[in-house]
Amino acid sequence: MQKKYNGKINPRNAVYTAVAVVLAMLPAFLNPYWVDVLNSIGIYAILALSLNIIVGHAGLFNLGHAAFYAIGAYTAAIINTRFGVPVLWLLPLCALTAGLFALIVARPIIHLRGDYLCIVTIGVGEIVRIALINNVFGMTGGANGIFGIDRPSVFGYTVRSPYQFFYLIWAFAGLTIFLFHLLEYSRFGRALNYLREDEVAAEGSGINTAHYKLACFVVGAAWAGMVGNIYAAKMTIISPESYSFWESVLMFTIVILGGSGSIPGVLLGAFLIIGLPEIFREFANARMLIFGAAMVVMMIFRTQGILPSRPRSYKLSKLRAGEGSP
Amino acid sequence: MKKLLLVALALALICGSAYAAEPVKIGLMGPMTGSWASEGQEMKQVLDLLAAELNAKGGLLGQEVVVVSEDDGGDPRTAALAAQRLATQGIVGVIGTYGSSVTEATQNIYDEAKIIQIANGSTAIRLSEKGLQYFFRTCPRDDEQAKVGAQAIEKMGFKKVAIVHDNTTYAKGLADEAKGILDANKDIEIVFFEAIVPGERDYTAILTKMKGFEPDVVFFTGYYPEAGLILRQKQEMNWDVPFIGGDATNNPDLVKIAGQDAAAGFYFLSAPLPKDLPSEDAKQFLEAFSKKYGNPPSSIYAVLAGDGFRVLVHAIAESKSTDPDKVANFLHNDIKDFPGLTGKISFDDKGDRVGEVYRVYQVDDQGQFILMP
Amino acid sequence: MEQFFQQLTNGLAVGAIYALIALGYTMVYGVLKLINFAHGDLFTIGAYLGLTLLTSLALTEHIGPVWGVSVLAVMVMGLVALIGALLDRLAYRPLRESPRLSAVVSALGASIFFQNTVMLIYGARFQVYPQNILPKTAINIFGLYVPLIRILILLASIVMMGALYFFIQKTKVGTAIRAAAIDQGAARLMGIDVNRVILMVFLLGPAMGGVAGLMVGLYYGQINFTMGWVYGLKAFTAAILGGIGNIPGAMVGGILLGVIEAMGAAYLSIAWKDAIAFCVLILILIFRPTGLLGERVAEKV
Repeated sequence: MQKKYNGKINPRNAVYTAVAVVLAMLPAFLNPYWVDVLNSIGIYAILALSLNIIVGHAGLFNLGHAAFYAIGAYTAAIINTRFGVPVLWLLPLCALTAGLFALIVARPIIHLRGDYLCIVTIGVGEIVRIALINNVFGMTGGANGIFGIDRPSVFGYTVRSPYQFFYLIWAFAGLTIFLFHLLEYSRFGRALNYLREDEVAAEGSGINTAHYKLACFVVGAAWAGMVGNIYAAKMTIISPESYSFWESVLMFTIVILGGSGSIPGVLLGAFLIIGLPEIFREFANARMLIFGAAMVVMMIFRTQGILPSRPRSYKLSKLRAGEGSP
Repeated sequence: MKKLLLVALALALICGSAYAAEPVKIGLMGPMTGSWASEGQEMKQVLDLLAAELNAKGGLLGQEVVVVSEDDGGDPRTAALAAQRLATQGIVGVIGTYGSSVTEATQNIYDEAKIIQIANGSTAIRLSEKGLQYFFRTCPRDDEQAKVGAQAIEKMGFKKVAIVHDNTTYAKGLADEAKGILDANKDIEIVFFEAIVPGERDYTAILTKMKGFEPDVVFFTGYYPEAGLILRQKQEMNWDVPFIGGDATNNPDLVKIAGQDAAAGFYFLSAPLPKDLPSEDAKQFLEAFSKKYGNPPSSIYAVLAGDGFRVLVHAIAESKSTDPDKVANFLHNDIKDFPGLTGKISFDDKGDRVGEVYRVYQVDDQGQFILMP
Repeated sequence: MEQFFQQLTNGLAVGAIYALIALGYTMVYGVLKLINFAHGDLFTIGAYLGLTLLTSLALTEHIGPVWGVSVLAVMVMGLVALIGALLDRLAYRPLRESPRLSAVVSALGASIFFQNTVMLIYGARFQVYPQNILPKTAINIFGLYVPLIRILILLASIVMMGALYFFIQKTKVGTAIRAAAIDQGAARLMGIDVNRVILMVFLLGPAMGGVAGLMVGLYYGQINFTMGWVYGLKAFTAAILGGIGNIPGAMVGGILLGVIEAMGAAYLSIAWKDAIAFCVLILILIFRPTGLLGERVAEKV
């Protein structure tokens, strides 16, 4: 886990560092099953963080994020199985294809109001899934999906066991957290927040809303595409049912339940939404029932999400002239 | 903490019971929730019954047999987690699972953990083409079934064939294989080849479209819920084209859904049903199952899971070992015509079940499944 | 040409069911601006309750098929309406003042809960309605064979939608619902009890969804616990297509979606029909961003 450290110890940073250290040590005490649960949590945490840019920061109602995840995964799978390019080298390409796809589909629909955007993103997700099932361009293998994807290798060292994947996935998660944290406090992040709070006022202040909305869609999608790459490398087989509407729902739920717009919230959300069904395994057939009820209850008691984002605050003394405005 | 207590409690119970040593654990991975929950829950019923019977007779290698079941949710990601979880619980082998792509997501995990996997419903050809030494299946492969289906169509003298699948791995595989065989026959023309969307209720649009192509017979490779609806809606349209279904249509619920009139005359391919097996084992099993759960098993795949369990238990008993290499070796080489519930079982080098398993059945006026000669 | 008309009737029958379910989405959305993702599962519950009541009370044997089914429909509507009201009270009302998307997650949780409750009560196997409750005759209309039940379904849903439309447009309560949909605050100032309006909406919408479930059970015969997910998504699409929040829009959207699907299956591809329907939806939204009958909402300034 990468950590931001800037010389002085802030109590919050200390907590985060402690959490990161504990997390990094965890595999030593866990069996492969629980490590793999953590891996699953890691993958969904990154996906949800990428969705958080779109839903949490910009306030765009996206219920089709699985489409971008799918495009990244299939890009990696197709190129790797056909041309033998090592799967991790394809990360930038996966980001590119997923981002490009987002740019193309989002361009005409970006002006739609909240709930209309929601159904359109659901539609895009379904269209992608149906295209994958129907073996579009003869490349996606239909319902069978693509199998025989290489395991990733890092510096000539093949990542194979759940323990090794744990460090690969959570290193990527750490990088994601770091970069998205920077993004959150950048001019871009502030502009997105403005847009979420009041689109008309944002436009009035000279923010090109369509441009920013599109940009956040592309960034979020590109990141989901990279997660797709890692997922493909981990599973070594991918098939369309891994990218159903339900997956988009999961990611969305993680973001809202954890705390829309808040990185620690989204991480906690991933632990709850992906981890709880595993803990509830003891309830056998009733496990999803309890999970559904838990979702409602958590939402009622923490209506803003479990760890909501706090309003920005700046120390006056730290502000340089002209930096406070977006 | 609760887990630890449970484990301690379980250990205490085991130590105190007649069995001095650790029980033999056999895993079950099946879809207990999600769209295919009915299959997984019945698989568990079958295995629970068989394990109870076995334990009543003194267990295995002098020890108790415990079935450890996990939910694969019918989706690959959940299945991979279920497999990891099973792999940490000291099981000798695992029975399952139903869907081919779901099985595929778990194959490497079991192989790396040296756990014998006996799939019960995963018929996709490629699963056994990877040279995995611990992988077996009691269900036949799609190409085997397609061969029998195509032969049946040729024998009955149909010339214009419509093939309908549902875009699942299994149904598409079967449809493609059948198409390949029938394309080679010059007398037979495939006039229609399309996929329906499973899980819907109204299939009149596809029936209306298909009727326009005037096929002599329709080969439907999907599952029974859709097959039942299609038969029913076909009858409502007053269209009397004969239908042949793949083995996923073999389910008593098919007749309930379609209604007796609409189901009458429907052909389907299947491994011989337990009622048509002369073996005493099968009869006893059916009786015991009905007695315990109130109705006979509805899915052939659940029975195939039972066969997987029985063959695995047999191999462990005969090789007197729970060492995966020895058991796998025994399954590959030393099992010849094991009397399974669904017929004789032997495995080839790839772990596929050997021999012609499929028969053609027809539904009669009373909704009974009659074995065609 | 015969194909075309036959497919048109297929599409209309499917669309009528979509429309009935879509009404529930659109009414709740109109007043609360909430996408009630659990609505599809209320439809499932309607189908299962219908089956239980049908087999346990044997009404159709005692008082004949017409009266039996009518009484059954009323009972199912009543029960599902109660569940709908309860759902609102427990899962949505505590979230009235919180961000809109929080309520959406609560709705998704409720959906998972309902779906698995049905699975645990009735089992995961497909359940089957008894056959031959309604006549199986087909009517020959200008050379088209149309099963009588299809016509009955279409008629029943048109009658119900008509009644609902009349209720919303002409009665006092309906006027209050419309007023609350336009501006809750202003409605409250005009002396409208908005909480009662919301309760009304959560009684009416689920009642429509529940009776749609009963109709699907009676006609198609086969039901299972996941059916609400598929129908719910389709009906939500229909509601958006017509312009969400708009009651005639839901009806038009539902019927249109059914017809688009049937035509897509007939003339393009069956496997791609859902993708085709979504493409049409996206195209319509690009040119009419608030759906076919949705009003253009002025941006707040």
